[in-house]
Amino acid sequence: MADAQPVTEEELRRLSEFLYRRTGMIFTETKRYYVQRRITDRMEATGATSFASYFARLRSDAAGEVEQFINAFTVNETYFYREDHQLRCLTQDLLAERVERRPRDRAIRIWSVPCSTGEEPYSIALWLLENWAQVDAYDIEIVGSDIDTRALKAASEGVFGKRALMRLSPELIGRYFEELGDEQWRILDDIRGSVRFTAANLVETAETRPHGQFDVIFCRNVLIYFDDASRRVAAENLYENLAPGGFICLGHTESMSRISPLFEVRRFDDAIVYQRPRAAHG
Amino acid sequence: MPLIRKGGDAPAPTGGDEPAGKLRSTSPDERWAAARALSGRPEALASLTAALATEQDPRVREALLTGLARIGTPQGAAAIVPLIRSDDASLRTGAIDALRVMPAAALAGPLDSLLSDPETDVRILACDLARALPAPQATRLLCGLLAREPEANVCAAAADVLAECGEPDALPALAACAERFVQVPFLVFALRVAGDRIRAQTPVQDG
Repeated sequence: MADAQPVTEEELRRLSEFLYRRTGMIFTETKRYYVQRRITDRMEATGATSFASYFARLRSDAAGEVEQFINAFTVNETYFYREDHQLRCLTQDLLAERVERRPRDRAIRIWSVPCSTGEEPYSIALWLLENWAQVDAYDIEIVGSDIDTRALKAASEGVFGKRALMRLSPELIGRYFEELGDEQWRILDDIRGSVRFTAANLVETAETRPHGQFDVIFCRNVLIYFDDASRRVAAENLYENLAPGGFICLGHTESMSRISPLFEVRRFDDAIVYQRPRAAHG
Repeated sequence: MPLIRKGGDAPAPTGGDEPAGKLRSTSPDERWAAARALSGRPEALASLTAALATEQDPRVREALLTGLARIGTPQGAAAIVPLIRSDDASLRTGAIDALRVMPAAALAGPLDSLLSDPETDVRILACDLARALPAPQATRLLCGLLAREPEANVCAAAADVLAECGEPDALPALAACAERFVQVPFLVFALRVAGDRIRAQTPVQDG
């Protein structure tokens, strides 16, 4: 039975330091309730009877507790238009830079990795169609990749439940989805046909390299799960998969600066993103 | 519909496997590709080490450091260690970051030497690296340092790490160090805080 005593200020500080070192996520006293709930859940799951015994287990990573702990602090479900401030940034700032002095016949390439069951790459497609004035002027190739082939199969089928669509207006759902009944909707074939799905492991260069170079990569909420050495390899792979001057969007709790110096930080109104320098430095 | 229908071929792959000789190419792109192709390969240890000694491009250096770190052996760590004495801050930082991601088994030996290095700054950086080791190993190394270290700033760096990952075994060493430096109030305070945190986190018996 877990000890449901509230964590002390000192315990919260130590736990927050641990979490920050592992993930870059910052939790302060203002998030006490959120943190407390998750600690209590993990203590119950592991049978720890005190914060001290749980923290000892966490520090030694007994039975993979670090991964379980991080999972408890991140939102794993995905849905359409999640973190849409980055999509606003895409259409307001990133694409404007990418199409500057670009011939109209050169396609814009966008990569969603990992793409899970397709919500993110389809969101990018819908967002561009709805919000980017130049969408008709360029060919746009969207690729979704994931290590999980079952997720990729679901993504290709393009059928989503009510929860996945919760951020979309009824008008958008009516415009781009076909209702199947039983609270299921299938995205229109035209949209399904515009996203290419591939299997790829971010730390396997042989799998990422054949995808070529992209203008923008969405790589959200995955790097935090890698160990430090794998994160460095993933960062180098992502660097290779970005065209010079291309952008990468990470999850809001992630920071490329903590992983690799290869990228430059760019601050826009709606998001902080990372950019491959136009010319190699040095 | 302006979006491209799937089924099209992706652009031709960029880069590819390169021989060790390409590490000496005049093209940074070729050197980058070569460093990545040789990354983590034990037989490339000498080539990667030699390239790192002369490489000036930060991007290629980063790939070389990753390549050595991924070899994951004490030899790989030993190739990186000299760089933490570099006058170039970015190279120094890059070397520390690369060492930090290495397996504990590869790092422990070189770290033991670094904690006894004649340079104070190197010993301070080494204390921080100990954070990457499992708690018992970090505790043992840092307690050894606390027992012999003449510089208060180095002891403070060790206390900072022990406050985070120290085991109860560290308590006597912290107390002894505080007695030795009783005339240095900031260090006595740091050592006491470290001890308090370790005591606060010492688990009581789980039921």
